[in-house]
Amino acid sequence: MSIIKAENITKIYNHTVVPVHALNGVTLEIDRGEFTAIVGPSGCGKTTLLNILGGLDHPTSGSVELANTDITSLNDGQLIDFRLKNIGFVFQAYNLIPVLTTMENVEFIMLLQKRTKKDREARAMELLSQMGIAEKANQRPSQLSGGQQQRVAVARALASKPQFILADEPTANLDSKSTSSLLDIMADMNREEGATFVFSTHDQRVIEKARRVITLEDGRVVKDERK
Amino acid sequence: MLFIIAWRNIWRNKGRSLVVMGSIVVGIWALIFATGAMNAFMVGYMADIINHDVSNLQVHHPDFKTDRDVQFTIPNGEQKADELRHWEGVKATTTRTLVNGMIASPRKASGVQIRGVDVANETRVTAVDSLITEGSFFQNVRRNPIVLGNQLAEELRVSERSKVVLTFNDANGNITSAAFRVDGIVKSSSVNISKQYAFVKQEDLTRLLGLGGLVHELAILTEPHFDEKIVVDEYQSKYPDDLIETWREISPEMDMMQEMYGSMLYVLMVIIMLALVFGIINTMLMAVLERTRELGMLMAVGMSKVRVYSLVLLETIFLGILGAPIGLGLGYLTIRYFSETGVDLSQYSEGLESFGYSSILYPYIESGTYFQIVIAVLITAFVGAVYPAWKAVRLKPVEALHMI
Repeated sequence: MSIIKAENITKIYNHTVVPVHALNGVTLEIDRGEFTAIVGPSGCGKTTLLNILGGLDHPTSGSVELANTDITSLNDGQLIDFRLKNIGFVFQAYNLIPVLTTMENVEFIMLLQKRTKKDREARAMELLSQMGIAEKANQRPSQLSGGQQQRVAVARALASKPQFILADEPTANLDSKSTSSLLDIMADMNREEGATFVFSTHDQRVIEKARRVITLEDGRVVKDERK
Repeated sequence: MLFIIAWRNIWRNKGRSLVVMGSIVVGIWALIFATGAMNAFMVGYMADIINHDVSNLQVHHPDFKTDRDVQFTIPNGEQKADELRHWEGVKATTTRTLVNGMIASPRKASGVQIRGVDVANETRVTAVDSLITEGSFFQNVRRNPIVLGNQLAEELRVSERSKVVLTFNDANGNITSAAFRVDGIVKSSSVNISKQYAFVKQEDLTRLLGLGGLVHELAILTEPHFDEKIVVDEYQSKYPDDLIETWREISPEMDMMQEMYGSMLYVLMVIIMLALVFGIINTMLMAVLERTRELGMLMAVGMSKVRVYSLVLLETIFLGILGAPIGLGLGYLTIRYFSETGVDLSQYSEGLESFGYSSILYPYIESGTYFQIVIAVLITAFVGAVYPAWKAVRLKPVEALHMI
């Protein structure tokens, strides 16, 4: 059953006089439980596509249906609420809240969802253990390495059991050791929690790990292969 | 957790938070001090005029105010003054015989209001004897003593024991003159006392006027905080032919001054608060712009605009809550210190005194005003945070996330 359904989406940035076509009619479907990488050279539209699939940006035309909801018809407030309930985000620059501890960062989304303290703490601890950073629970992001920070970010994205997780170049700032351990963790989560992952990447190691690879070029899907 | 984030955020950039806190502290302190100083100006000025010149209430013949003719006296003035001393709320009374005339020294002449005073009672009502800087208040000179204000004495170039001549119309309309010897010089911030009055003994003046027992003015000092209106109503119903007035009616300029001070203080408050608002807008806006990415991320992962807005406001409120007690404490201590020692403005006092102000200010503030000032500053801080908070929620997550 597809959880992401994008049909013929285009995105044109009207940069003053010359319009830039970031996406030129992308159509794709991603099923629940998939582990998908969106790849392509720089400027091919990966991040734009991910932003649109994450409800962070509106397509110029086309429709986007996420978890059976047409998000193109939602206003900003509704989109925020939709993202909170359905989507987990992992960013290239980790983007953790610097003033909160690791534990609090993981709890944060659940708190916005008004989950109980007991519930939040149990889930956050469970995820941190799975990520192998339980002992860092009370440390601030600035005290962690890049790899550890990204693991916290993945834990945060998974905490509320979203419908799917979007990760924009999650390994771009990591060394190879951190990359492979993060990929292992995400693959485990995909298997154990049934979490749906969609990455944008041009990291070969991520592409190798992905079970489906969608290749974009000049804003178009040029290849879609499943392993 | 919003509280935790806001609280910890304010310590991320200590320097900047201290600037905001500092401006709140200075804002509250400045407002407290300005209000205290204004009160001191106003209260000092009014107290001087009420205590040493006008007193709380005065009784005159109804026509005396428009035509200061010798014949417009208060019938049975002395008896009324005696009677009033027993009324509830009345502390002291005195009678005066007033006549306008000329005063001349060997060097110069000037117009004056000659005030024939009942020495013992006058000192009880106006304590004018406490203003003596030279000589005495009718103690030393036996025959025709006169007490002058310092400015008038300077103008006439006379000092203690100098001789002056008073010229005025007597009860029959004839011009009469008499020599007086300066017994004392009084110094007051009241222009009337220092420049326009010449105090003589009532018995000397009435003798020269040719009629005994002439009372033109009956001054009443009431107990502190006693409602003057009660005495006014009682007196008016008992003696409807006399005119009794409160200090507000006698010196309407004081009422006007009070209002003027109110508006000056208001303007000053607005200026201080505007400076505070812009200071806070500036620093909080910096705080928001510096965290564009982070705020974008918060909205991307599902933090509502209301929460983002509240976060920025909360940070400012925390800074306000931290700064307010410090500003309040500093303001309170400053006022307490100066209310005892006084702020000496004697360097500028020549100018001030010519306007009727005392050269030493004793700032004071009613306790309720402290509270009002703190609330006003906190509201100002809150208003200052509104724009940065609005700017924060206007961020588009997708753009904010890609900002460095």
